[in-house]
Formats: sequence, structure tokens, C-alpha cells
Amino acid sequence: MTWHVSEDDLRLYAQGELAPPLLWSADAHLTGCAPCRARLAETADPVALDAAWERLDAELDAPRPSTVERLLVRLGVADHTARLLAATPVLRRSWLLSVLFLLVMTVLAVRMVGQPMLFLALAPLLPLAGVALSYGPSLDPTYEMAVVAPLHGFRLLMIRTVAVLTAGLVCNGAATLALPGYGLLAVAWLLPALALTGTGLALSTRLGSVLAPSLVGGGWLALLAVGELQTRTHETLAPFTAAGQAAAAGVAAVAALLLYQGRDRFDARPLGGFRDGGAV
Amino acid sequence: MTTASASASGPVPGHGGRGASGPATVTATDLSLRFGGTRALDGVSLRLSHGVTGLLGPNGAGKTTLLRVLATAVPPDGGRFTALGHDPGTPSGRLALRRTLGYLPQNPGFHPDFTAFDFVDYVAILKELTDRTARLGEVRRVLEAVDLSEVRGKRLKRLSGGMRQRVALAAALVGDPGFLVLDEPTVGLDPEQRMRFRELIAQAGEGRTVLLSTHQTEDVAMLCHRVVVLARGRVRFEGAPAELTARAAGRVWSSAERDPNALAGWRTGMGAFRNVGDPPKGADLVEPTLEDGYLLVLDGDDAAVGA
Ligand SMILES: Nc1ncnc2c1ncn2[C@@H]1O[C@H](COP(=O)(O)OP(=O)(O)OP(=O)(O)O)[C@@H](O)[C@H]1O
Ligand SMILES: [Mg+2]
Repeated sequence: MTWHVSEDDLRLYAQGELAPPLLWSADAHLTGCAPCRARLAETADPVALDAAWERLDAELDAPRPSTVERLLVRLGVADHTARLLAATPVLRRSWLLSVLFLLVMTVLAVRMVGQPMLFLALAPLLPLAGVALSYGPSLDPTYEMAVVAPLHGFRLLMIRTVAVLTAGLVCNGAATLALPGYGLLAVAWLLPALALTGTGLALSTRLGSVLAPSLVGGGWLALLAVGELQTRTHETLAPFTAAGQAAAAGVAAVAALLLYQGRDRFDARPLGGFRDGGAV
Repeated sequence: MTTASASASGPVPGHGGRGASGPATVTATDLSLRFGGTRALDGVSLRLSHGVTGLLGPNGAGKTTLLRVLATAVPPDGGRFTALGHDPGTPSGRLALRRTLGYLPQNPGFHPDFTAFDFVDYVAILKELTDRTARLGEVRRVLEAVDLSEVRGKRLKRLSGGMRQRVALAAALVGDPGFLVLDEPTVGLDPEQRMRFRELIAQAGEGRTVLLSTHQTEDVAMLCHRVVVLARGRVRFEGAPAELTARAAGRVWSSAERDPNALAGWRTGMGAFRNVGDPPKGADLVEPTLEDGYLLVLDGDDAAVGA
């Protein structure tokens, strides 16, 4: 073994003040390294030491956090927040893989047709769907427990929204890089994506976590269809023009404001019914 | 905390005095909730005190709905309730109640990739236990309480249904809640585990308020100091289990053939028929059980029996 716990870390560890991820490395190391355990025993005063042993004991029970969680903690996310994120259904590998698959197919199609509209129409829908599915009864199997827990629903929603939005935007961004020929037009999905996601969330406390994003997504497609009919060929669709982008930014801002103002509703009543609820 | 103040002044219900109930810790008045045309709760009023109260009722009686309302999972359409001195009708009261609440839903959902430990840890975080060391200690404690320390590292999808039920109970016990709401906690457990569960729930009922729904009248007979019978969204009975049994005094008899006048009758393992209802003259009366009392209470509501 080449690495050992440093004196400083050992002292912090004994006092229970070492934070993850260093804490985890120390735990993992101490369980396997007798010399370091001996040094720990010398470092600490007996009372603190008892606490440290107890903590080490508890820590050994805790399963090693998943790769995603460890990564998040390394990025500076608190370990409890990382665990809340790890429970987000749409951040599971199977979901991310299907999103990537969809994007790859779209990029291929765009390259074949030589027209980016398909991608621009789809890209804003992905974050909308991802965010809608990550909070609420439809996909979160423990939603009923989350509702009655003291942690604010809005806080949980925001933690997951930020994560899903980041993941979605990164996926979209990667797809954009695969379409270098279109210049700035290829990122025209970003503001509509924020507008749709914000509107979907703001409406979810009234319409439920399925109907709200469905209506918003449907509205988006309808808007594009109408635009398509009214524009002459080879002209950019309205939402992706400068005026359309400004409108999308406006909608996103208003939706964010409304969402924030209605934040307490997420605690007052569940979004839609529960799974297995009665006759439903 | 203010939670104990409502009850601290009154007498503590003794272990022997199961029939006696202490001061009310949960008071519900006229709760109602409709789903479309269904009145799932139709003016439910009840009082709970420290100790375990059983909630009996046929399928669709409204038990789960009532427990969800009391656990603040859904607000009622009408009526109000207070629990441990908190009024969940206000945002601050609701939060305060949620901080001292343990809830086991009828169909607790799981993240299948989580281990038992991960899952309880996740619920502990939802319950605002952010300090890592304290949280891990608490998770260990509750897993030990439900006798699952051995399998804590196993993924939930690899555990048996009864084990998952125990994981869910462990999650409900996190943070030592003062008000425990358990929806059919003993369903799917083998007899040995059911006994352990009863022990555990009885223990939790000491100095805490526990409300559990069940279809097993034995759960109530062995565990509860009070029982509420619900049918079609209304309270049909509220009192001590002994009182419910007493409802059937003189109304249970045994006969060689099925008695056509009985409300319910079945052949027992001994060969004779056991009848519940209005006995004929000179009938061979037998000792009633809680279940007989329950059947008779539901009798006022024909559709409820066996619905
Ligand atoms: N989310 C819902 N939407 C519509 N109807 C519902 C909903 N939840 C419950 N109900 C109805 O309310 C009534 C009470 O249901 P509830 O689940 O509370 O019964 P229960 O007593 O728990 O039954 P069980 O013993 O089968 O668990 C039933 O008629 C049910 O169909
Ligand atoms: Mg039920």
C-alpha cells in the first residue's frame, strides 16, 4: 500500500470532522491498513476515539456510494443531496441511454435531410419530459413517502430539475456539436427548452405531473406545425428566429417566477394520484 | 418540542389497562374526501391516544384514504384534524407534523437498484437527517430493529416481499416518530415475522401514537388498546377490542347443521357449524371472538360484508 492517511486527516477523522470524499477514502483505507489504525489510536484522545470507532463501524455498514454519487460529491455536492439525486429515476443509466439513442438517430436524420428542424423540434422536449418524469407519482416509486416527508417538495424538485436539466442540456449540447454546419441556429433549442420545462413545472401543481408537460409538449408541436404552414420553404421557423428566441426567454422567465411563487403548493397536495391508489 | 405537551399532563396508559385510553393525541372531526362520485371518507371523526389503535374494515372501506389524510399525504375535502398538537391545515403545522411522523404506505414503492441500506438512508435524508454520522447510526438502528442487519447490503429487487415490507417499516421508524401510521404492515409476513412485527409495533406504541390498518382481527386482539371499524367511509365502531367482542356476546352459537337464520355460518375444523347472528331459542352459545363482533358491526351495512 503506497498511500496512507495523513496526520492532519487522521486527526480530523478522529474528531469526526473529515468530510466526504476524503472521509470515504479514509474509511476504506483504515479498514484495510493496520498501521494507520494504530496511528489513529495514538492520535486521538480516548473519548473521541470511541466515537471514531463507532463511526467507522457505522460507515462500514453503509454500502459504497455509486459512481454517480461519488462523482457528485467530488464536484462539491453534499453527500445527502447526492443520494437524493441518485434516486432520480430518469438519471438511471437505462434512461440516459435511450435519450442518447434518440439524439443519435435525430442527428443522423438531420444530416441526411440537410435540415436541422427535426433536431430543433425534439431537443426542447427532452428536458421537459425528463424533468416532468423525475418528480411526481408517475415515475418516482417512493413519491408517497417523499410527499409526507418534511423535506420541502420544491427543494427536492429543484435538486432533481437542476440535475436532469444539466444532463439533458449536456446531451443536447453534444448533439449540437455533431451538427457543426448550422452555426448559431443549432443552439436555438436552448431557450425553448428552458421555456417548455419552466412552463411544464409551473403548471404541474394545477394539472398534475403528466397532463401539464403533455399539454406543454403538445403546444410546442402545434406551434411548430402552424409555423411550418405559414413559413415559405427554407425560411427559419418562428421560434428559432431572433424574435422567437426573445419570446422563449420571456416565457422562461415568467414561468420561473410563477413556479417560485407557487412553490408551497408542492407540499400542500400531491401532484395527481398515487400509484396503486385505491381503484386507480 | 411542543409535541408532547398535549399528553404529558395526563395519565400514561398502563400496560395492563388496554381498554383505558389516555388523553387524545390525534383528534379528527368530520373528515371527508370524495373521488368523483365515491365518498371514500364520509364524515369520519375519531380520537387516538398513546398506544396502538387498529383500523378494521372491508376492502374499499376507506382505510388507506383515512391513513393518507392523517399522514398528510392528501388534504381532506372537508373536516379537520390535529395530531400531536399540530394542525396540518397550516403550512407550519403540516411541516411540524411531518417532522414527527412515520408512514408505511399500503404499497410502498422502492427504487429497485437501491440496497436496503440505501433505501432507508434515502428516507432518512427526506426526513432531514443530514448529519452523516447521526444518519448512518439511525439507519443501522432501524434496520436492526426489523431484524434486517444481515441483508442491508442486498438490492431491494433481490429481497423477498416480506423482507421489503420490513425495509419499509424500518424507513417508517426512522427518526423515532411520535405518530406512526401503518397501512397493513403485517400483510405478506410469515407467522414468526408477524409476531416479531407485533412486538415491534407494541413497543413503538409505548408513549407514541400508532394507527395501523389490518384485515387480521388477531392483530387487533393481540396488539391494540383501541379499535376503529370503518365501512363505506364511515366509522361503524370505536372503542376497546373487548367492547367489540362484547357486541357478539350471546350471538354466536354452534349447531350440527348450518342455521339458515344466521348472518354468517361456517363449518369449523371440528365438524360443527359456527353461526353468528340472532340465535334460536336454546341454541348452544359459544364464546364470541373479536372477529364475530366485527362481523356483527358490519351487519348494519349489508353491502360492506364481503364487499
Ligand atoms: N385515488 C383514487 N381515485 C379514485 N377513487 C379512489 C382513490 N383512492 C381510493 N378510491 C376509492 O375510495 C374508496 C376507499 O378506498 P381505500 O383505498 O381507502 O380503501 P381500503 O379500505 O384501504 O381498502 P383495502 O382494504 O382494499 O386496502 C374505494 O371505493 C376506492 O375505489
Ligand atoms: Mg387500503
